[in-house]
Amino acid sequence: MTETLERRPHSVEVPSASLIGTSTARKEDDRLLRGDGRFTDDIEPVHVLEMAVARSPYPHARILGIDISAALEFEGVRQILVGADVRKMSQPLTVLRPVPGAPKLPYYALADDVVRYEGEPVVSVVATSRAIAEDALELIDIEYEPIPHVSDVLDALDPDAPQIHPGLVEGNLMVTNPEGTGDPEAHIRSADVVVEGRFRINRVTGLPMETRAVVAEWRPGARELTVHSSTQVPHLVRKQLAEVLSLTESDIRVTASDVGGAYGLKLGIYPEDVLACLHAMALRRPVKWVEDRMEFFRATTHAREATHDYRIAARSDGRIVAITNRYATDMGGWNSGFGSAQLSSVVFTGPYRVEDGFVERRVVLTNKTPIGAYRGYGQPEVNFAQERLMDQLARKLGIDPLELRARNMLRPEDLPWRNPAGAVYDSGDYERCLRMAAEAVGYDAHRAAGRGPRADGRYVGIGLSSFVERTGYASARFLAKRGSQYGAHESVTLRVNRSGGIDLYTGVSHMGQSSETAFAQIVAEVFGCGYDAVRVHGGDTASSPLNTGAFASRTLIAASGALKAAAEKLRDKTLRLAAWCLEAPVEELEVNGAVARRRDTGATVTLADVFTRALTGQGIPPDEDPGLESTAHYEPTDAAYSFGTAAAVVSVDPETGDFDVDRFVMVHDCGVAVNPKIVEGQVRGALVQGLGAALGEELRYDAETGQLVNGTMMDYFAPAAPDIPPIELLHTEVPSPVTPFGVRGVGEVGTIPPAAAIANGLCDALADFGVELDSLPLTPESVWRALRGSTG
Amino acid sequence: MTDQVVVTVTVNGETVTEQVPARMHAADFLRHRLGFTGTHIGCEQGVCGMCTVLVNGEAVKACLMFAAQLDGCQVETVESLATNDRLNPLQQAFKDEHGLQCGFCTPGFLMTATALARCGRRLSEGEIREEIAGVLCRCTGYDGIVKAIARHLDEAAAAGAVPAGGTSR
Repeated sequence: MTETLERRPHSVEVPSASLIGTSTARKEDDRLLRGDGRFTDDIEPVHVLEMAVARSPYPHARILGIDISAALEFEGVRQILVGADVRKMSQPLTVLRPVPGAPKLPYYALADDVVRYEGEPVVSVVATSRAIAEDALELIDIEYEPIPHVSDVLDALDPDAPQIHPGLVEGNLMVTNPEGTGDPEAHIRSADVVVEGRFRINRVTGLPMETRAVVAEWRPGARELTVHSSTQVPHLVRKQLAEVLSLTESDIRVTASDVGGAYGLKLGIYPEDVLACLHAMALRRPVKWVEDRMEFFRATTHAREATHDYRIAARSDGRIVAITNRYATDMGGWNSGFGSAQLSSVVFTGPYRVEDGFVERRVVLTNKTPIGAYRGYGQPEVNFAQERLMDQLARKLGIDPLELRARNMLRPEDLPWRNPAGAVYDSGDYERCLRMAAEAVGYDAHRAAGRGPRADGRYVGIGLSSFVERTGYASARFLAKRGSQYGAHESVTLRVNRSGGIDLYTGVSHMGQSSETAFAQIVAEVFGCGYDAVRVHGGDTASSPLNTGAFASRTLIAASGALKAAAEKLRDKTLRLAAWCLEAPVEELEVNGAVARRRDTGATVTLADVFTRALTGQGIPPDEDPGLESTAHYEPTDAAYSFGTAAAVVSVDPETGDFDVDRFVMVHDCGVAVNPKIVEGQVRGALVQGLGAALGEELRYDAETGQLVNGTMMDYFAPAAPDIPPIELLHTEVPSPVTPFGVRGVGEVGTIPPAAAIANGLCDALADFGVELDSLPLTPESVWRALRGSTG
Repeated sequence: MTDQVVVTVTVNGETVTEQVPARMHAADFLRHRLGFTGTHIGCEQGVCGMCTVLVNGEAVKACLMFAAQLDGCQVETVESLATNDRLNPLQQAFKDEHGLQCGFCTPGFLMTATALARCGRRLSEGEIREEIAGVLCRCTGYDGIVKAIARHLDEAAAAGAVPAGGTSR
């Protein structure tokens, strides 16, 4: 390494009787349990109209003509827009996170000349009901001329492939992003052993149970556009809508109260958000659009699809000397708001000590639904390639896979460590997680038992997968270098009220991550009041300070700093006012539940009294301003890296390929857990998404027609309760030195290790058959095919 | 449209008569006509279970029924479960066991479990998982949901009481 990274001791001390670290009841639960949540489709303004969208049935086609005349006559239809209208009324959609070095590929909310994926919006209709709007769609005649399409990522790079954005992108390759350090090629040439493989990652969807939805209301006289949106990022939606609609941000209010799952799919605007606003502004009536599930499968960003060419070079003692990973991600037909997964580069060397490494992302266009962010965002993909190859390396060298991992893992004293992609791992004990996972599944006993079938003819294997996960963003400076249109910070406003409570305003919307609960815990802890005294108002741009939003496992990392600073500021003034009331020196005072109290005499004044004095300006010291509120912003200094190891015990029938995951253990460290129950829920939930993607989820396109063949809830495998293998979770808690309270992000980690751990378990079980699995999902069929292929 | 149907239905104990389009499904009717927005819609294909309600005591997917088919029926939705500000024991079990995150699927699970509890039987974890396979959750990984339902079934079986208005299957 060319520089010395400063080692920072972890200095935040969390008192043992603290609310932080307690599984408090969730603030969100009561309304949701009683059916009183407020999801976007629950919002029904008077005189609301509804929108439906006609979409391309072709993956690639020229639009020759659109005849809307019959639909315009249909009773109940209020307005129809086509691409040419939208070009006049709005700007192209903007992206929040451009692909560095790539053309931005701006596009309008409706296709005008060429459609580039099945499901691309072509016409929008607004009518007095959704049913009537859909009836009208049936009357619209769109003439298409299909043109050759390409569905496969590697096919798209063929020089003879159909060009998806001719003139803008050469050869369907949007950009190549290389990163690395040292001279890995030299090490590979001289290494004792090199393993390499091509790993195919399946295209999946995050599949939130609530689809996307928007309600737009325009009051022209007030010049006020109110947009209720099922989004993770209300303030960024406001920014994008202002750009696309040529309004000022002052003209727009975005609210997102309850969001029914998002997982990265609801980051920023989609064409339908723009269309609903255009219709609402033209008609001066509220317009609602709720995506139906058939639309969802085609119109909301997909995820993951990639091909990784991964190589590991090592010495005969197992020490890794170099890693390279060249991978191609499928972008689909357009650049989505967040672009294709990039974290496959950031953590491509995983938890291992590797100084010479090279990673290269190629972003490739195909005629499929655009790819966007989804929980894990590149980390499950690269983990599959890396951890599959670690096992192949172990077999080649005759070293136990666990020992090979342990031998190469960074040690606590090696951290902080800058990996070849420039990521700085902050702290951790990676090997401890590995050993704990091995112990939990009885790894040694399994190895000692030797190979061979069980009494039922099945072979048993254990697979490991170790990982490091980036959570949060380093800083705004880091983001600026990549052209990202948002900051790294979070912000919060606290205001007191006369009832003795604290109103907490945040731009973070509720989507299941329990931010209301965790935020209130931190404020109550720092301020000293009761947890129930804090009321969280989330996701409304009209009341919250500008923030970034809930994604990238960053919310709590950044927000905890803002919450702490705001609560301290509020507490300090509260104590000054209380000291004046009680005629005491301020050093003698503390907030204790609903009162401020003199430590020496025990005299108290209620918070309601102090707050009322502040809000009326009556009965406060002459040198104090009235009012009592605070706003704080917090910019993280570094990303925090969570880590862990998963171990899967699988049993497989070598005749049929049928297999079961008998046990799945994960040991994980997310630093200090603000609320252990929430942490457990986040990890389990993400694990089940990871298991789904590993074991069956896949969006399949027919190569001939280019159409999605399983785009319905019935046809897409999403795990239900009986489909889940038994999951055991263990945690370690190494506080991160780079975040307030020592937290790390926790929302995405579960998606990372399942595929590799299970594949490694299968290959371990079937080692005598020479099976190496390299494609996802893992199904009895794919195992059977691998068995047939390898045994000839 | 002339294809209108008159429906008289009792929802959460209150009888209403409404004229509705013949093609309107029961979930849309409950949500957008009667304002019971706790019943959610996730696929309109009978797969995801977000719209599960009780019709004459049976858990059904309201997106697969026409509003017209509710004529003369007793319907219970998630809004019927709590009493004033008090969660019922099933809701409380979901809260205690962290059986919900985003909460969109929660009404579907609560109504499915309500029907299950009225059978008055304890079920194994595996049986519970099979019984709730018709409702999908993408947040929790099902663990908290299964624990909450198991606890509630144990409590309900121990109490031995079938709630008023319920039917045994």
